[in-house]
Amino acid sequence: MRIKPFEYHAASDLREAVQMLSEEGADARALAGGTDLVLAMKHKAVLPKKVVSLHRITEMAAINTEGDEIKIGALATHSELAAHLELQKVVPILCQAVSLIGSWQIRNSATIGGNLAHASPAADSAAPLLALDATLVTTSPSGDENIPLASFFSGPGATILHPGQIIKEIIILRPQGRSSGRYLKLMRKRAVDLSQAGVAFQAELDPAGEKLAKVAIGLGGMAPTPIRAPEAEGMLEGLSCAEALKKIPSVARAVVAATSPIDDIRASAAYRKLVAEAFFKQAAQEVLTSLTAG
Amino acid sequence: MKIPIEFVVNGEPQALFVKPNHTLLDVLRDDLGLLGAKKGCGEGKCGTCTVIMDGKPVNSCLILAPRADGSDIITVEGLADGEPHPMQKAFVEQGAVQCGFCTPGMIMTACALLDEKSDPSEEEIRLALSGNLCRCTGYAKIVEAVQVCAQRIQQDKGA
Ligand SMILES: Cc1cc2nc3c(=O)[nH]c(=O)nc-3n(C[C@H](O)[C@H](O)[C@H](O)COP(=O)(O)OP(=O)(O)OC[C@H]3O[C@@H](n4cnc5c(N)ncnc54)[C@H](O)[C@@H]3O)c2cc1C
Ligand code: FES
Ligand code: FES
Repeated sequence: MRIKPFEYHAASDLREAVQMLSEEGADARALAGGTDLVLAMKHKAVLPKKVVSLHRITEMAAINTEGDEIKIGALATHSELAAHLELQKVVPILCQAVSLIGSWQIRNSATIGGNLAHASPAADSAAPLLALDATLVTTSPSGDENIPLASFFSGPGATILHPGQIIKEIIILRPQGRSSGRYLKLMRKRAVDLSQAGVAFQAELDPAGEKLAKVAIGLGGMAPTPIRAPEAEGMLEGLSCAEALKKIPSVARAVVAATSPIDDIRASAAYRKLVAEAFFKQAAQEVLTSLTAG
Repeated sequence: MKIPIEFVVNGEPQALFVKPNHTLLDVLRDDLGLLGAKKGCGEGKCGTCTVIMDGKPVNSCLILAPRADGSDIITVEGLADGEPHPMQKAFVEQGAVQCGFCTPGMIMTACALLDEKSDPSEEEIRLALSGNLCRCTGYAKIVEAVQVCAQRIQQDKGA
């Protein structure tokens, strides 16, 4: 498992990082925590000529929860996100999801930007961030660009980022009404395995606290990319929690209809569908019940 | 091309030239002769390579050597202070060591846990150690050793 030789640079700021990356084109890779990249280099799945480490760009690790736009630096680690008290209050679904990633050691190195850029269909931060309508702020030598996460993934392991373009931060709009969310994932063995299926359910009440103003369902490992289930969401929006609770079984079928999972070494497609249905029911039940309880 | 790095290992400043395609684990074992951290899987799955980097347990097999520049590393060799560290004693006394291959990594994660939380529950111990695999002990004695160590440190503080 020798890594092939390559040129290494630790960029001192964002501008230098994107400059170095764009000079080398597709032969260069950004390095964040390295938990995906170093492994891929060991397996010779990726053979970069140049690796540009981002770790000295400390502003890229900042988490800012002060305004209506919650800003999460791409270099924030899963451990930092999971332990962030303000994030736990505002977007608990994200903290909960990333706390389930890998082992403690992995979460101490692995970053949220790396999780998204690696673009595994089952990446555990993706389904909750999709459900939170996250936007990525990217930067490249030609400037900053905002990309909605919903249009970021282009296939398994693929994104629309071009060489020299990196994720700088992730923006989530602070929920306006009372909200609640839950992420459930299926895995063979905690700490060492990617998830086989993940379901994120996020719901927000209207200002009066009566009707569901927003319902979002994010699914990981259920299609070539992480996806939303818009038809299922539409079946619940505008309802009271009590009405919504009664509709869970039919909405669960609409959730499954939105998926197109594959058979692989981790699980069969049929099993993934069963699990997604069951997880959706459980997550929706918990979230809607907690919103009813006030 | 080798890259110069400066970092602190077990309290001692080190200045080395490292190959970018080596890992922190390679540097510790091959350049510094610290053979405590082990290469079990080389893929972040077994935890035998666990060291404390800037206060946090990490898998040194997934950290590129030049990335260690400027960091503060503690390996199992850095724990004993004339006599074995309380965690090392507890592991020996509770029979938490069989072949010993997982032990340095287990001990580093366990020490990092007690630094963060002096009185963890059994569940918290098991969760913290879930990235450290052991093929011998069945884990029960390892969890007991961490509990015993935590109690002793508490008692010593109280005394
Ligand atoms: C043992 C083990 C268990 C794991 N368990 C899980 C799990 O349960 N759930 C899960 O989702 N993942 C899991 N992973 C995968 C991995 O840890 C995560 O995807 C992690 O978040 C990747 O982040 P990183 O900082 O380590 O990325 P890196 O490895 O540094 O980078 C990954 C990719 O993203 C690119 N990149 C990194 N940062 C940026 C940026 N800011 N902008 C643009 N491109 C960037 C890199 O060039 C590279 O191609 C596991 C990995 C291991 C080894
Ligand atoms: S050798 Fe690093 S986790 Fe197995
Ligand atoms: S004592 Fe042998 S692997 Fe743990």
